Amino acid sequence: MTTLAKAAHAVGAIQELENGGAPLNAFLAVAHPESLAVANSEGLLAGIPLAVKDNLATTGFDTTCGSKVLEGYRSPYESTVVRRAKAAGAVVVGKTNLDEFAMGSSTENSAYGPTLNPHDRSRVPGGSSGGSAAAVAAGLVPMALGSDTGGSVRQPAAFCGIVGIKPTYGRVSRYGLVAYASSLDQVGTLGRTVTDAARLLQVVSGYDERDATSDERPVPDLLGAVGRGVEGLVIGVPNEYLPDGLDPALRDLVNTALRELEEAGAKIRRVSLPHTRYAIPCYYVLAPAEASSNLSRYDGVRYGVRCAEADLISMYQGTRSTGLGIEVKRRIMLGTYALSAGYYDEYYGTAQRARRMITEDFRSVFDDGVDALFTPTSPTPAFKIGERMDDPMEMYLSDVFTVTANLAGIPGISVPIGSIRGLPVGGQVLAPWWQEDQMLAIAGELETRIQGAEA
Amino acid sequence: MSVGQKQAERIAILARLHFGAEEIERLTEELNHILQHVEALRNLEDGPAVVHSEEGAPQAWQRGSTRGSEAEVPDTLDQGLNKVSPDWAEGFFVVPPLPGLHKDEGA
Repeated sequence: MTTLAKAAHAVGAIQELENGGAPLNAFLAVAHPESLAVANSEGLLAGIPLAVKDNLATTGFDTTCGSKVLEGYRSPYESTVVRRAKAAGAVVVGKTNLDEFAMGSSTENSAYGPTLNPHDRSRVPGGSSGGSAAAVAAGLVPMALGSDTGGSVRQPAAFCGIVGIKPTYGRVSRYGLVAYASSLDQVGTLGRTVTDAARLLQVVSGYDERDATSDERPVPDLLGAVGRGVEGLVIGVPNEYLPDGLDPALRDLVNTALRELEEAGAKIRRVSLPHTRYAIPCYYVLAPAEASSNLSRYDGVRYGVRCAEADLISMYQGTRSTGLGIEVKRRIMLGTYALSAGYYDEYYGTAQRARRMITEDFRSVFDDGVDALFTPTSPTPAFKIGERMDDPMEMYLSDVFTVTANLAGIPGISVPIGSIRGLPVGGQVLAPWWQEDQMLAIAGELETRIQGAEA
Repeated sequence: MSVGQKQAERIAILARLHFGAEEIERLTEELNHILQHVEALRNLEDGPAVVHSEEGAPQAWQRGSTRGSEAEVPDTLDQGLNKVSPDWAEGFFVVPPLPGLHKDEGA
């Protein structure tokens, strides 16, 4: 195949699936075959078809964030990650579905309908990067870009049986990533294999003058790290991530993965991260607080749609009330309350303290000689569509094992470790700040050994 | 701590949102259910609030420096705004008047 032929084939496959009798609704926009182009035929991603989550700004497609309020919005500029991927030869074949403004764990909160899990179409693909995860899992693209604010790359990767990486906060530029909770948001990569996800991360990582939170540290050899092995590494297993009520089948898969790592030469050590119990309450104060501020820009004035009203305030209210979905409005309400006079210290201030303690838990364990941590990615496999939509708190608890990495800013990866009742399950490797290479070495070893055992 | 319906209506005004009577009732219940879980933070021991450890903070933050006033490559946001905004005239966003503000008073 020529470099462009792969992308043309991917576009054809996407159109055939999404316009056929059993669509996944993974894509919100698909490239026109005649618009495809390879910018670099020698790059690390030469000719590779790439799917991009629809909260990353692209000049060739609308960027809707899965919201009616941005219906038809075409960004005047390209996000840094998409620019870098294209410069390395990737061909963007479409924009993928997501929970509106990345707020959700199932992709059911999209204004353009839910995405289905390719392993079982009665179930969710996870979220919020559910479209990207489903597209990779269905074999439509080998890799995709997503974003992870509380687990939105790792949890859908686990639900769809693929690999998902959330890098260290600051490793990847957020320029052109539509903001949800800026202190937690990080662009992530999804791939069929650890190598695919690492290859994309290698390309999009690194300092960007357009994002003040992007870091100047050199990017290590991420691709080379995948096959490095785990000999001599100390891998911690936090007690708080294997609670008494955990599904015994999931516990067994975690233990099997740990045995594989031990056989490969790693040392396994039980550890404690005592403030983990505060992670969900902390996240669901901080993320909505930041969201309430970030989403104040959707007022019908500068971009997107406008609800015509007689006066300015009514126009703001009308635009936001009709343009935003219920989960987004719920989080804006929660965040506005948490930041309002009289409640700021009680909620936001306390949550910031909890965030520091959660961060210190990780630092203490890593300082004590632990090279990385291993946990389940999610407490359950993919749940049924509609099952958790009536209970927001139950939906929020899907993120219990993933939000801590965002709160602390450390990198995490989800890698398939087996299946329960026919549904894929992911294991999560968490590493110290800036040590994505260590994390990829462990994930690569697990992938080789677990796939080898299943073959 | 719980939120009453009147308070929820007040928060909605601050958030520039509007809800129907049934919607606000349901939302108030949901907010209270979420806030019950948030109450767990009350058990947190005292300590300062610092977002990131030094290892986790970008180098520019650690040096106390910030991004320069201008990026080397100029931003394109000053161009094309008329194409993405709902209403645009003579280089400005067009909006309806503030409530109670007559056109001749605003001049």
